[in-house]
Amino acid sequence: MLIRPSREDLRLIGYNLGRILVVVAVAGLVPLTWALIAGESAPTASFLLMIGIFGAVGYLMMQRRPQASRLEWSHGMVIVSLTWLIVPAIGAIPLELSGHYGSFIDPYFDAMSGLTTTGLALIQDLDHLATSLNFWRHLLHFLGGQGIVIAVLSVFAGGGAMTLYYGEARDEKIFPSVRSTARFIWLVSVVHGAFGIVALGAVGYFVLGFRPFRAIFHGVTVFMAAFDTGGFAPQSSSLGYYHSAAFEAVAAVLMIAGALSFGLHFALWKGGRKVVGNLEVRTILATFLGTLLLTLGGLASAGLYQSLFGLSRQGLFQVLSAHSGTGFATIPSAELATWGGLAFGGMAIAMALGGMASSTAGGVKSLRVGLTIKALSSQVRQVLLPEGAVISTRYWHHGWKQLTSGLIQAVMGVSLLYVALYLLGTGVGLMYHLPLGSALFESVSAGANVGLSVGVTDPSMPLALKLTYMLQMWAGRLEFVAIFSLIGFLFSLVRGK
Amino acid sequence: MMRRIAAALIVVLELLLPRCAMATTDVDVEHLLTEAAAYEGQTISVVGELIGDYGFRPDGWTWTQLNSDSYTTAPLLEDGDLSGSNVGIGIRAPASLIQDLDPPGDYHHRGPLVRATGTWKYHDQDRGGETYLEVVTIEVLELGKRFDESADPIVAAAGVFLVLVAMWLGYRSRLRSAD
Repeated sequence: MLIRPSREDLRLIGYNLGRILVVVAVAGLVPLTWALIAGESAPTASFLLMIGIFGAVGYLMMQRRPQASRLEWSHGMVIVSLTWLIVPAIGAIPLELSGHYGSFIDPYFDAMSGLTTTGLALIQDLDHLATSLNFWRHLLHFLGGQGIVIAVLSVFAGGGAMTLYYGEARDEKIFPSVRSTARFIWLVSVVHGAFGIVALGAVGYFVLGFRPFRAIFHGVTVFMAAFDTGGFAPQSSSLGYYHSAAFEAVAAVLMIAGALSFGLHFALWKGGRKVVGNLEVRTILATFLGTLLLTLGGLASAGLYQSLFGLSRQGLFQVLSAHSGTGFATIPSAELATWGGLAFGGMAIAMALGGMASSTAGGVKSLRVGLTIKALSSQVRQVLLPEGAVISTRYWHHGWKQLTSGLIQAVMGVSLLYVALYLLGTGVGLMYHLPLGSALFESVSAGANVGLSVGVTDPSMPLALKLTYMLQMWAGRLEFVAIFSLIGFLFSLVRGK
Repeated sequence: MMRRIAAALIVVLELLLPRCAMATTDVDVEHLLTEAAAYEGQTISVVGELIGDYGFRPDGWTWTQLNSDSYTTAPLLEDGDLSGSNVGIGIRAPASLIQDLDPPGDYHHRGPLVRATGTWKYHDQDRGGETYLEVVTIEVLELGKRFDESADPIVAAAGVFLVLVAMWLGYRSRLRSAD
């Protein structure tokens, strides 16, 4: 029997959702300040409106304080999935008011893409966009990559905070308390931010010859998109704009750091013992090398690049961008669309597999890939051994762990859901007569939160395709559980007794 | 008579030959991006707005972007229509060609509208496979200009009102918590 949620349940959800919206309102002060400093009047007004809406809606939801303070699993999951729908909706308002979008669904698409660290974009005339709005697009990457809820937890963690933490698709508790873990995640980001912004800004100023303010602007925005494996770029030609191997190299370091799990960051900070033996590390190295070889082989056989340096620089960067889920490109979409055969396969597989669990990257995740391979090899060994033989399989992932049948089922289940998600977008693309390759590439890019495009994502694409990609970005980022919980919650609200 | 015809032909050839040697192809940037390999090594001319940054590098070259889309002639801030994403290519030119130009295009500016002529480098081996136009001459067709922009008073007023509402609601919920 379905139990209808009580008023107290709704109050708990509303109150905590309100707190999150108030924190995002405070975050909105940063682009507002930027707009004031840059003398951008129209964006200043639109950020004021956005902050007002976030704040007013947030505090309105907090007016009815719940009796209980402890969140149950269902509450946490519903709060997280609603947060990831409401924040981009309100966050899209300044983008909509900029005049760079055709209809409200387009800025909502971009805000969802920003928050989920996907990087697909429907913005038009990006090169004339106000710097404060451009900064806001990238700040959405940062908020989403770190996890908006993580931001709230590091300030307010209360009873049942763990449910919110897990709801945002994080499953590694680095410290005993969620609050300490959330703070560690912010510490890692701040340290990488300091390094990344200084390094990118220095390359921008000393090597690329940008003016100081512009060097900082490029440093800040590219850092947020790279470390949070987002993929938005401040200019329309993505990282190809810079024409600089040095700039790409710094961005690549940040992309790799972003694709590592925060648990691995902690292990590395503690001295890095047994990091190489970690199943997830070994899997990501193997899949990265495999997809890189496929792509380079494809590019070499197509004769697209005449020099080894050109081939390896362009191939390596594109594969790294795909595998880490970043979505930066140094070549135009039109050229990427011509990568056929092995190169296309290498890129699509790299995108689909994604980075590490509990990182800012999307996709199936290396840990699941590694566990699936372990489970399959264990099954093969079982078949080859005499009947009745018992095989115990262990793996190293921040300590020795047993591979149980429950774990295998969970891993396989989520992996299959990702495959279904990729097929959903491909199917909708085919309905609109896209070529199979393009439909598949763009769908995987959306579902794995990558952001590379072969030119399908465009303001003129059909509304149903835009909504499908938004659904894929949302589901891919939250890894399904929170979304199924929301659906179940809404169903029991209507049909429950 | 024959001598006169021959002399006239020589004059005509002299006039035409230097032009042939300098002949360039005018290429639409959107077409150039879709047929990039076909123009490899050719001398071409493209028309568009210089936009983004002028990167004056230590090696004496300056890099920037040239966009050729509807926004160069009908900017959004001057009630131009939306027409999709930007269409542009990277260009590099000797610093002397760029340093006296108006600021590049951005939110506040429409950059100078130029005709850039040079060699199209597709997957340049010497630059790690980059694609760009190596410019020899730049002709300014239209000077850059500054846009007027201002806040919408209704948006600003609604923003201030909602911020005040939020502050009042926040104050109220704090009072309740204190009780």
